[in-house]
Amino acid sequence: MSMCGKAAILSAGIGLSGCLERDSGNKTKDLTAGKLGGTFIEGASGADAETLNWILAADATSLGYISLAFDGLIAYDNKFNIVNRWLKNDIKTSDDGLSYTVTIRDDLEWSDGKPVTSDDFVYTMKNLMFADWMAYTYAGDWTEEVDGKSVFVEPVVENETTFTIKRKTVDPEFLYTVTDLMIYPKHIVSKYEGDVKAFTQAPELNNLSYTGNLGPYRYKEWIRNDKIVMERNPDYYLGKENGEPYFENYEVKIFGTSTARHAAMEAGDITNTGIDPEQVMKFKAIPSIKVFTVPTTGYRVLQYNMRDNGWEGLKDRKVRQAISMSISKEKIIQDILLGFGEPAFSFIPNVSPWYSEEGLSKIGVGALYDKTRAKELMKEAGYGIEKNGAIQVIDKKGDKIKLKFFTITGSKVHESMAYLIQKELGDIGIEVDIKFVPWETMLRKYYMNKVPGSDQPARNNNGPRAVSEEPWDLMYAGQSTDVLQPSGTEIFFVTDGGLNTSGYSNPEVDALFKKVHSKEALDVTARKKIYAQLSKIISEDQPLDFLAYPTANIAFKSNIRGIDPGISMNYNYQEWYFG
Amino acid sequence: MDRSYLAKRLLHALIIAWGVMTASFFLMRIGPHSPADKYLATLGAGHNVSQVTAAIESRYGVDRPLYEQYFNYINSLLHGDWGWSFSTSMPVSDLIKIHWAYSFQLIFLSSILAIILGISLGIFTAARKNTKADHIATFFSFAGISIPNFWLGMMLILIFSVKLGWFKTYYDTGLPMFSLSNLYALILPVITLATGMVAGYGRFVRSSMLENMNKDFVRTARAKGLPESVVLRKHVFRNALLPVVTIIMLDMSGIIFGGAYITEFIFGIPGLGWMSLKAVFSDDYSVVMAVTLIGAFVTLFFNLVADIAYTYLDPRIRYE
Repeated sequence: MSMCGKAAILSAGIGLSGCLERDSGNKTKDLTAGKLGGTFIEGASGADAETLNWILAADATSLGYISLAFDGLIAYDNKFNIVNRWLKNDIKTSDDGLSYTVTIRDDLEWSDGKPVTSDDFVYTMKNLMFADWMAYTYAGDWTEEVDGKSVFVEPVVENETTFTIKRKTVDPEFLYTVTDLMIYPKHIVSKYEGDVKAFTQAPELNNLSYTGNLGPYRYKEWIRNDKIVMERNPDYYLGKENGEPYFENYEVKIFGTSTARHAAMEAGDITNTGIDPEQVMKFKAIPSIKVFTVPTTGYRVLQYNMRDNGWEGLKDRKVRQAISMSISKEKIIQDILLGFGEPAFSFIPNVSPWYSEEGLSKIGVGALYDKTRAKELMKEAGYGIEKNGAIQVIDKKGDKIKLKFFTITGSKVHESMAYLIQKELGDIGIEVDIKFVPWETMLRKYYMNKVPGSDQPARNNNGPRAVSEEPWDLMYAGQSTDVLQPSGTEIFFVTDGGLNTSGYSNPEVDALFKKVHSKEALDVTARKKIYAQLSKIISEDQPLDFLAYPTANIAFKSNIRGIDPGISMNYNYQEWYFG
Repeated sequence: MDRSYLAKRLLHALIIAWGVMTASFFLMRIGPHSPADKYLATLGAGHNVSQVTAAIESRYGVDRPLYEQYFNYINSLLHGDWGWSFSTSMPVSDLIKIHWAYSFQLIFLSSILAIILGISLGIFTAARKNTKADHIATFFSFAGISIPNFWLGMMLILIFSVKLGWFKTYYDTGLPMFSLSNLYALILPVITLATGMVAGYGRFVRSSMLENMNKDFVRTARAKGLPESVVLRKHVFRNALLPVVTIIMLDMSGIIFGGAYITEFIFGIPGLGWMSLKAVFSDDYSVVMAVTLIGAFVTLFFNLVADIAYTYLDPRIRYE
């Protein structure tokens, strides 16, 4: 950075003129003219963050706050193109897929002016993320199976700005794990090494006072359950040439209810927030607000309990197909999501580069939303009899089928979804008993399971013989998939998947998920084929009914400039400004 | 009131607070929840769940035997250490130091408003029993008692903040605590919290006044030719105040921890009520314990204040 540039950026940071730089024509131009200033207030509902000490974070809110001061190695734009941030060059994967070489920029600095080096990255991995004393929750993402043992990958310093991560086995999707890598300054955290209590309570780590020029904003104030205020970082490494970011402060304000949050947006007290579907038309009519409808990575599902305490029929693929075939995805999208969504058929969201419609069973729309065919399938599975020329759906004892449906309390969408499903299944003769339960109860009594009579601690998947404390048949929930690394979703589908609460098991699916992590999948076309095959099998198997991919509605004050609406619309937020 | 009585009451308070603390400590710990739950919900495949759970429980010190955790907690407490809040990542003492003020200002202003308006309303309606004014006041009192806080709060925001633009839609913690702008910002939350209290106190004072109005000493005062205002103020009101003090003190201790939660929630006030609720859902034991303990002390304190107030209001009452 030239001295001129640094001084000019500093002057902008203390609220003087914009960043002035002499161009080749010997004239000066004000790089931040008309852009600099103002406080951007993002309205959020729900729980506040738990920590700014990223390695301890388990919630998305915490990581969201941290990212304001910490760019990370890369960002993705709306088309999932990689935008390098801390990276100098793209990460190089060796031809054998066993080595990843990462080169960072040479102008990254900690708050005390010390340079960020590859040693900081390697130290963070080896001494913190992989260390027993830290018990990093996601350490498992950095392990591989070698000779039946789980071992950590091996990070090595190459030079000041380059490090390599070496593996012994191939995993084509490990690249995405590497791009998520975060960092601590070795010279600060090494004094806490081995003492988890001191590390947890370290003031520098809890108020991000070390983040230097690594992100567009710096920590200013955090009032728990109220707001976090980040101030403009005048030293921001990406702002050298153009004075970014432009807001003086970036604030996230927590609201207790969505009604209060919407009221704040309507009154102009906040700059941006998410809008519930039923409010979209109202907000679109307000001239001072613009609303963007963008895709998301989430989807809604109806889970089927295939464990021993679910209704026996759900173990039969034909029965699951029949139930899914009786529920209209169009109705869900129009009547419940008010048009803000698309029908879902796969665990891979349709915005993902890995999404493929090849061979996908589009159950629940068009010809495959067919209650007559659903009844026939039930009969074929042994759950129906022909009476007066029509099929009557009954269980094997001749009684009416009654299913227990569960979902969480407190959501209008969940409630409407429950009643719609109840009605749809009622039409084919299946009675649905709806129960709304709090999330904690859902987790403890319905998701977690163990083998009856055993002394196993309850987990989300304790094997095929395990059952939940309370019986259930159907469950409505939300899930999401990493669009670039869909194999992470295997936790729901492989036999021993950590979140396979439904007890689904298909050896073919297990094998295909393994294949995604094999050398064969290094070839992108081959990997795409594997994903297409997986999607096809799962859509036929229907271990759960993929109902819809909802879209999100994001409202901004209409004088905000620089927004590039899309699935990753925050990727360039440091370029936003008040017009 | 002699000093030995006061000392005895304080000792009782300490014993009760210890009992509350012990009961809360064990009730929280024997529940099925663990601080590891939130991490487990986001774990990917390939993780050893039992290992992760053990490590996280060790990080928060909840892997030790229950009795050991209990004595460690008491020991820390005696050394002024309230523990570390892992749902907010700060010492519990700092958390309370920062957030109690938000609750206190709301509760203090609401209580003052409710006491002044409630008592005035009660006296006014009692003196005009069965008149049109009494009927109208009675109608509004019942409405005030029946309207839920969350509905009233939202309506006030929609009318006065969104439609009229007179107030911000949420409480701004950036305002200096002792400033007119802060007082202005608290108008809607105070009205929300105080409405039910005003109505309740009004009804209570009214019935207490009416009960005393027919007593012999009031008849005697009137027979002596005292003006009605003096009879009401000096004879009826003073005697009617005794049960009212009890109700107000009980209310105060009730709303300080928890009762103001809904108002805080709606107006985005980061007070202790909202904080405590979050701590309960996050299994943040240290915060829940601290809030419970302080809540117990506050309740006992207000009971003591009520007892002391009785001796001033009614000289016949003596504690020995």
